[in-house]
Amino acid sequence: MGRLKHIRNGFIHFLWLTPFLVNAQMSPHIPPGSQLQLQVAQPMVDVSTPVTATAAFDPPLVPAGGKAFYRVNVDATESSIDWPEALPVPPELKFGAKQSGQITLMQANQYRPLASFVYEVAAPLAGHYTITNFSVNVAGVRVEVPAASLDVDAKIPGLQAPRRLELEVSATNVFLGQPFHARVILPVGPGNEIEALREIELRGDGLMVDKTAMRQAIETINHNGELKPALICEMTVTPIAAGRLEFTAQGFTAGREFSAPISISGQVNFQGGPPKYVLLVSDPVELNVRSLPVEGELPGFTGSIGKFFQDPPHLATNRLQVGEPVQLSLSFHGEGELTRLVPPAAPASRDWQIIVDPPPATSFTLIPLADEARQTPAIPFCYFDPVTEKYVDLTVPPQPVTVVGQGLPVEQPVVDDGGKAGARVKLSALAPAPGKTVRSLKPLQLQTWFVGVQLAPVAGILALWQWDRRRRYLAAHPEILRRAQARRALRREKQQLQKALTAGDASAFAQHAARAMSIAVAPHFPADARAMVCADVLSQLDVSAQNGAGTDTVRQVFAAADAQFAIHPRPSPGLLALSAGVESVLQKLEEKL
Amino acid sequence: MAGCDRLGVWVVLALLVCLAAPGRAATNDFFARGMELSRAGQFPEAAAVFEKAVEAGPSAGVLVNLGLAEWQRGHAGAAILAWERARWIDPADARATANLEFARQVVQVDAPQLKWFETVSTWLPPNAWVWLAGTMLWLALGLLVLPGIFHWRKAGWHQLLAALAFGIFLFSLTANFGVVSRTQIGLILKSNAPLRLTPTHGGEVLSTLAAGEPVRQLRTRGRYAFVRAAGASGWIGEDEFQLVCPR
Repeated sequence: MGRLKHIRNGFIHFLWLTPFLVNAQMSPHIPPGSQLQLQVAQPMVDVSTPVTATAAFDPPLVPAGGKAFYRVNVDATESSIDWPEALPVPPELKFGAKQSGQITLMQANQYRPLASFVYEVAAPLAGHYTITNFSVNVAGVRVEVPAASLDVDAKIPGLQAPRRLELEVSATNVFLGQPFHARVILPVGPGNEIEALREIELRGDGLMVDKTAMRQAIETINHNGELKPALICEMTVTPIAAGRLEFTAQGFTAGREFSAPISISGQVNFQGGPPKYVLLVSDPVELNVRSLPVEGELPGFTGSIGKFFQDPPHLATNRLQVGEPVQLSLSFHGEGELTRLVPPAAPASRDWQIIVDPPPATSFTLIPLADEARQTPAIPFCYFDPVTEKYVDLTVPPQPVTVVGQGLPVEQPVVDDGGKAGARVKLSALAPAPGKTVRSLKPLQLQTWFVGVQLAPVAGILALWQWDRRRRYLAAHPEILRRAQARRALRREKQQLQKALTAGDASAFAQHAARAMSIAVAPHFPADARAMVCADVLSQLDVSAQNGAGTDTVRQVFAAADAQFAIHPRPSPGLLALSAGVESVLQKLEEKL
Repeated sequence: MAGCDRLGVWVVLALLVCLAAPGRAATNDFFARGMELSRAGQFPEAAAVFEKAVEAGPSAGVLVNLGLAEWQRGHAGAAILAWERARWIDPADARATANLEFARQVVQVDAPQLKWFETVSTWLPPNAWVWLAGTMLWLALGLLVLPGIFHWRKAGWHQLLAALAFGIFLFSLTANFGVVSRTQIGLILKSNAPLRLTPTHGGEVLSTLAAGEPVRQLRTRGRYAFVRAAGASGWIGEDEFQLVCPR
């Protein structure tokens, strides 16, 4: 009891002293050089120990026609070993292709590399075969590879085949870029013990292995008709070259050294003791890789192959201001490799700035640039369905939005020279009426029709100038006007003459014929037509007409015309018969006008 | 006979009025609708209606109201352009002048730098200058030519008036040249419009121009125009700016 009291008192004293003993929390004090120590505290790579090599057949005894593996292990890096092209192989043994791998081991607090070379050997005939020792060049140093022997016996029942990996693929006929799953299986070994695998690799050209998505598990599988636990490593493989591809799997057994969390189902035994690092290989798997069809490719193809579905896109808000970002979230699901799904690229848009959110997000940040935007832009996207061998449209449809413009100030204070705010200036009120209106903002100076309008006064002045010139000419040459007037009057008289002839009115015929002849000769004198007499007309007739019947016709016409002034006018019954002669005379006189 | 001539003149005038009436009626309808929308605060819709009114027949009042609607919805470049166009039609429009001054203070852009003959051209509407020039030219020529044609007695006032008309014609020529020169002036519509070194989409951006900033279009190539701004010259997309007077 007294002991407990003593402890209690000590605790109370400790609490009293705590404020003086405990300082404020400070950043951890790092001694000088500790960061350098962090950098150099990694285990060293052992390069000082002499390089050694081992060689052996696995298993050393096989039945005739069986297979074994010839393994050579060299404790050096693979790249430093100058491996010979040909080995001293007995001609009876059939060696397969060389396979090699490298692992780094931790020994005595130092890293030590281990390179392994493996050949699959077929032994068709019984016998004892030896591969003699040979040397390889390791970083400039000759290293002796010891001899190894293989016994092939015709009759050995119950021998187990050498351990090897099994490689399974989810598809052997794929399209370029189409991800598929590969399973590397290591069945339990002798004694039903399971082992880990390290440095698992798929060897072959034209493949890309996604090791970040590798999954390991221990499951019970059906192996050669027998249920056995096995270590299964599953990974995603993407072909990056078209054609027929061949690849194998390989890995080092590593005892219990599992490099990642592993799920175990069923009952398994783990190997005790130190691990044995043995490079195991699988049989090759052949893959037929086809190129994607060019025909029918839709906009927005980013290389996604599989079968995908898209939920309706989700827009954070559909009412936003100009310049305000909004997130458009997309969610895809389907049967393809979703981890390899590349979201659609941002399309170019006049009214939107579109930013693709960094993966793994499948969303876009949209920023409206103008309030004319009524919907988000459609984002083209499609995938290739390897089953139907067609491209499938998965375009993100436009989403209706209301974009409100950022208002500008409608008034602001005016600051005078003294820095004092004065009256506020503001925008005007609405104009109450349309006001002055024009047909077009384009000025008349640039309109071609206006040039045509300007040509109208030019034409008017030219016309006036021409009229004035004509008028002056006629003033200088009045006979032109008189003759023109005489021609017009003569045409009128000839019409009257024709009417009188038709009516059989001899008196009128004589009057009009005499007047017509007077009109036709008047401009030659010049004189008024009413002042012309028969002699004037005769003087204008040419000589042939004066001596012919024309003279008589003129005389008879004028005589008949003058007869009207007689006290007792006498009818001239044969006067109308002169019409042809009158016509001839008038034609000759008209020709002289 | 005189009565028939007078009747003909009235018929022609009535026909002209009838031809012009539908456009004016449409403008008035759009104008009234735009006023209602502006008063209701629906500025995007109001701007769209005023745009239709401008298409039916540009008028200073419609453009002033269009500028107000564009300003209220945050389109400073479009607002300044509308008010510049209102002043193009009616240089004496007080609302457009005051709004332009206010807007340029707010968005911190300069007015277009005008040459002296361009400044002269702003004293009257552009079309007035060309009619003035045409009238004065033909008046001067008529006074010199017609007395000789019609044998009018020579009078001193004929020559005085002709000299005056010819002087006004010469003066208006400079103003007309200013009008044509001002048709190169455009305004940036959107903020941060890129001024590029080459007329291509990927051309190097020399600088960016603010909305409402004035530029002069010197030539065009495809969908780009080579413009001269206050501090730089370069190519700009045709959708980034508009001329005050569309050619």
